[in-house]
Amino acid sequence: MIYIIDHQDSFTWNVVHQFSKFDKVYCSNYFEINQKKIDQSKTIVLSPGPGSPEDYPLTTEIYKKYKSKKKIIGICLGYQQILFSENAKIIQQKNIFHGHQSIVKVVSDKSLFKKNSKFKVGRYHSLKLKEPFFSNNFEITMRCDNSNIAMGFENRKDDVYGFQFHPESFLTTNGKILIKKILSA
Amino acid sequence: MKEHNSHKFKFHPYLEKLYQSNKTLIIYKVEGGYNLYTDFSKKIILNEKNISKFLNTFSNKNYKRETDLYIGFFGYEILCSLLNIRINNQNKINFYKGIFYKPETIIKIRKKITILSNIKKHNFKNSFKKTRILSPFKLNINFNKYEKIFNLFSKKIKEGHTYQIKICTKYKNKSEINPVNFFWKLMKVNSSPESFMIRDNDFSIVSCSPETLIDKKGRKIITKPIAGTLKKNKITNKTKALKYFRNNMKETKEHNMIVDLERNDLSKICKTGSVKIKKEKYVEEYKHLYHYVTSIVGKLKKNISVKDIVRSMMPGGSVIGCPKIRTIELLNSQENEDRNIFTGSFGFIKFNKDMRFNIIIRSILNYKKSSEISAASGVVLDSTSKKEFNENFIKAKSLLELFK
Repeated sequence: MIYIIDHQDSFTWNVVHQFSKFDKVYCSNYFEINQKKIDQSKTIVLSPGPGSPEDYPLTTEIYKKYKSKKKIIGICLGYQQILFSENAKIIQQKNIFHGHQSIVKVVSDKSLFKKNSKFKVGRYHSLKLKEPFFSNNFEITMRCDNSNIAMGFENRKDDVYGFQFHPESFLTTNGKILIKKILSA
Repeated sequence: MKEHNSHKFKFHPYLEKLYQSNKTLIIYKVEGGYNLYTDFSKKIILNEKNISKFLNTFSNKNYKRETDLYIGFFGYEILCSLLNIRINNQNKINFYKGIFYKPETIIKIRKKITILSNIKKHNFKNSFKKTRILSPFKLNINFNKYEKIFNLFSKKIKEGHTYQIKICTKYKNKSEINPVNFFWKLMKVNSSPESFMIRDNDFSIVSCSPETLIDKKGRKIITKPIAGTLKKNKITNKTKALKYFRNNMKETKEHNMIVDLERNDLSKICKTGSVKIKKEKYVEEYKHLYHYVTSIVGKLKKNISVKDIVRSMMPGGSVIGCPKIRTIELLNSQENEDRNIFTGSFGFIKFNKDMRFNIIIRSILNYKKSSEISAASGVVLDSTSKKEFNENFIKAKSLLELFK
């Protein structure tokens, strides 16, 4: 089972449908976490949502508790949430990308995806990761081809993954393949 | 935009009597013509307490004839309360939060006029109402106030609290209107696909809404969000409008966001993998403007109730912003007047649970000798307060002209 924590976003159900293609999904509001169901899940997905990681301390707690015990995937706010829990700084950016389609490039040969491959993605974020960022086993594996902003990380040792963009958006051309590969990793 | 010509000037004694009478009357634009609903046997005035009961009544009803439906509207406030969002401290005119009517007579205006009725004898009491304009239109917030809200919301966007938010402005005057005259006058120049009119004893609504929020037949559900408006002039045409929208980053991004939001709202109630974009980013043409539209379709899960559908889809995302809950909260904290019907939904629910609803925009609400026309446009980071303020005027224009 995949447990999706919904940070009250208007895109969460797109995430639910995307993951439901691969496994049973349980989705709950951030305010109504079902501890038993989380324990039963193989994977935890942290949804996109408004605001910044500081607004969701419970999600940070859950992340820390289950890191390296379950597969954890963060999307947009969820991605920032994981990095924030790893002591990264999440900052406002000059240009804002809401409903923006960009090209993302795989920049690391440690990635599950082929280095230098490019794909189109949908973005909804006003905040970003402040770099440089270092944390054990975390590797920035994807970047915006245009601005070089960090767009994805992989931590294969602890089974933690995150995307700044939205794999579930209709603007992302191969989101399904992306999720499939990470779920089977 | 052509079909009204075929019947408009044809004299029909029954219809003339109906128009001139004091009967409560609803007109709804349908493909190829108009449906008129009257002789209402039930009228349900909605409030927070009875709305769930009303939405549940459809679970045990049989659909036998075409009059087996409720037609009416949900106001903005009651849709918020269905999402457990309360609105405090707003100026209110205490208009109805929602009303649904059960018709016993339906008149179909197509090439021919057909009258379906469960009533044997039709009596009419003549009571012609003249339009009287008692004061000029005034805007409820001036540009300075608008700019202040705009700048605050821009800051909220930068901080990530909302991705897009729509500010509502309102034109108001003192007036009494003849809604039937207004409606047919409006249809001559702007017969938008979701146009409707309600004439009741103590209020009327005249609308040329272009936007279909829910079109549900059986388990198939379609929504057609509009995001993107272009003012018409002598050199624009449909092809140029499409080119403009495609090349305009602001319109494109605003549109993308609403498409993902509507996919999301459908996904809440639809089968996994069934939500698909049916037609992506096309242009619809109206009298004063062009709209950028996408249609999205899904197949409902089993056991989805009428209430589930209403709660997932309303209030329609394209007139609120994104993400919905946080954005509604932000709006309610800044708008100091009740939206009333604006960004609510008008439509019908048949006893077999098929339904169609629009988003109530481009509308005149006449109540207590006062008319109000609301318009909203979006704050996204690439827009300017001046441009969006003016866009609100473009949207209200064809309605304001009816008062000339």
